[in-house]
Amino acid sequence: MKHLKLFLTVALLLFAITSVGAQDVTTVVWWTESGDEVDDFLIPLLADAFNAEHDDVQLEIIAQESLNDVNRTALQAGAAPDIIQTPGAAFIAEFVDAGQILPMTSLADQYGWKDKLLPWAYNSGVLAGELYSIPITYESMVLFYNKTLFADMGWAPPTSQAEIDAIAAEAIANDIFPFTYGNASWQPSNEHLMGIYLNNYAGVENVYLALTGQKPWTDTEFAEAADLLATQLVDGWFSGDLSNYYANTGDDIRYELASGEAAMMQSGTWNFGSIGQFFEEQGTEWDWAPLPPFHEQAGEYNYELATGSTISVNANTENPDAVGKVIDYWLSDPARVLAIAAGAGFGEYVVPIHFTVDDFPAGTDERVARFFADFAAVTGAGRAGYTTWTFWPADANVQLWTDIERVWSGELSTEDYLADHEALWEQARDEGKTLPIPAR
Amino acid sequence: MATVQATAQATGARKVKPNEQKIPLARVLGRWAFMWPILALNLIVIVIPSIAGLGIAFTEWSGYGQPEFIGLANFDRLMQDAVFFKSLSNNIVWTAIFLTIPIFMGLLGAYLLAGIKRGQMIFRVLYFIPFVLASVVNAQVWRFLLHHRVGIGPWLAELGITDILDVALFGKAETALYTVAFVDIWHFWGFLVVIYLAAMSAVDVELYEVARLDGASRFQQFRYVTLPSIRPTIVFTLLMILIWSATVFDYVYILTSGKPAHASEVMGTYLYETAFFRFDAGYAGAIGVVMTLWVALAVGGFVFLRRRGWDV
Repeated sequence: MKHLKLFLTVALLLFAITSVGAQDVTTVVWWTESGDEVDDFLIPLLADAFNAEHDDVQLEIIAQESLNDVNRTALQAGAAPDIIQTPGAAFIAEFVDAGQILPMTSLADQYGWKDKLLPWAYNSGVLAGELYSIPITYESMVLFYNKTLFADMGWAPPTSQAEIDAIAAEAIANDIFPFTYGNASWQPSNEHLMGIYLNNYAGVENVYLALTGQKPWTDTEFAEAADLLATQLVDGWFSGDLSNYYANTGDDIRYELASGEAAMMQSGTWNFGSIGQFFEEQGTEWDWAPLPPFHEQAGEYNYELATGSTISVNANTENPDAVGKVIDYWLSDPARVLAIAAGAGFGEYVVPIHFTVDDFPAGTDERVARFFADFAAVTGAGRAGYTTWTFWPADANVQLWTDIERVWSGELSTEDYLADHEALWEQARDEGKTLPIPAR
Repeated sequence: MATVQATAQATGARKVKPNEQKIPLARVLGRWAFMWPILALNLIVIVIPSIAGLGIAFTEWSGYGQPEFIGLANFDRLMQDAVFFKSLSNNIVWTAIFLTIPIFMGLLGAYLLAGIKRGQMIFRVLYFIPFVLASVVNAQVWRFLLHHRVGIGPWLAELGITDILDVALFGKAETALYTVAFVDIWHFWGFLVVIYLAAMSAVDVELYEVARLDGASRFQQFRYVTLPSIRPTIVFTLLMILIWSATVFDYVYILTSGKPAHASEVMGTYLYETAFFRFDAGYAGAIGVVMTLWVALAVGGFVFLRRRGWDV
């Protein structure tokens, strides 16, 4: 009996101690897309660092394959993690509509996130006056070119459509493709080009007016932008033939550029992380330049605004305050953000906060640092364009990159294509499914 | 026994089959005990999602949150959707291709192999390997082989054979669907060879001996002995092809994603795009219902033929 009492007392004490300990530590779970950079940089530099500095909250980052599919199932089952990561802002409207994420406005006010994030990036997560998501990477579209080939041919990066035309004519005469691109790996790559031509031909002001419903997408400048792209594609400016464009993978296009088969590539800054190895293999050099305006009405060159993956707070989380603490830890340290981004080759986890040159880790590629500096200066001066995957509602966005192939094949007229596009925008406005458009 | 049956008939009781009387209740329950886990699993994984999928077709639903009932609106929309009809027609073309070419190749391959006594197993294994490889692996291999810049085509072009394979077959509207079908046939036909070979090996050899005595040629032996003998197997493979052709997805998705301009779009890829890019799960459900109807018709036809006394 005496032993039993002793045993019960010890057991009770142990239970009390462990219970108190368990209540004190809150674990925040975040699922992110799997990749080497998660294990090598994100977990050590963010989760391990955060956990070492905090006793009350612990961050657990779990890498998932096909994160979006996993999240969809987990959300429906009520078993999603505290931090919900989406592939892009287009998903947020659906999540808000379904009541699956919490507004973060009070957390943003508490921690001053409006000042920490770039203004357009903060606004891209605001729906009906509430902050629902924060982009954890951003990107833009630029003109990559084969610097070695340009030097050999005596070319300079083009600054106007006339200069593009001149380079293209000389390139074609020398059996070089003016541009390379393809959509075999990712059919929505069509929208990369459509977005560029809308912003750089019609101009960002006109795109803004159309995004905000002050101008129809059927207007002439948009039709001419679509026609310019269609003409160049059908004429073989991109990888020699439209069929090659459809068959080219991401590796194919980087090879064509690095080998000098193509002179230029209009693409996203996500290529910073992978383009170098193709040029190393070919013994050539790459560089980038801002995409030039394709028409006078487009004004000076601009950078399109684009957010990649976003994070939000799960509506079912029991620990929204702990989630806020984790997010703030990340947003508050530019050097940490850039160290993680550098680990991902500046292709992922470039959180849109304010940086200075000193924040970049030693050894950062000059071309990459030059982009971020110019991006900040140009977009800060108001010359910001709009990527379709960040600012278009889902249905209109999909129609933009699927039906444009029917225009290129001659099956659908540009006018009908844009009329369908306008109708989908009107429908999205009626249903309240448009996304936040940062004011100019 | 006769008395028992007479009594049962006289009282209107259910006629008891003789073999049911032989199985004790405990044993029947025991069998069910072994069956219920798989039944429960299929209920959860197949039956409930299927019923839910049918229900979703009558709703407007993004895939998240609560669906809203909208009656037949999704089906109305389907009837006016040119891309859906393009997908449906591509599925029909796909079915026609698969009901002919691989069947012919499978029968021919199996018949020729049946005549080989030594090394038959090597051929069987070689033909069967593509079927067991993952579709993504097969697709990548053929993507390289048929690549317009680094594949077989440019190599042939160097030998003077141009404009056949040195073009982007997956990127041309005229060739995309057929090229994907070719890759899928390459992976699939070995499976048919093995199935038909197994069926042919079960044919009574005396039938061939009699045919030979009657002076039948090899083709006549195949036509009048082999084909009728393996008819149930052929019909079974036809049925499976009909079903698989409705749900074809993987090779099309990996190789072309329905491009260019929906030239190789099939119902499966269109459903995927609708549900997961457009967030229109309700409409995707309606496409799924059409695919289910296709399968139901195929299975119904098969059952109908059996009831009509066909040996299938």
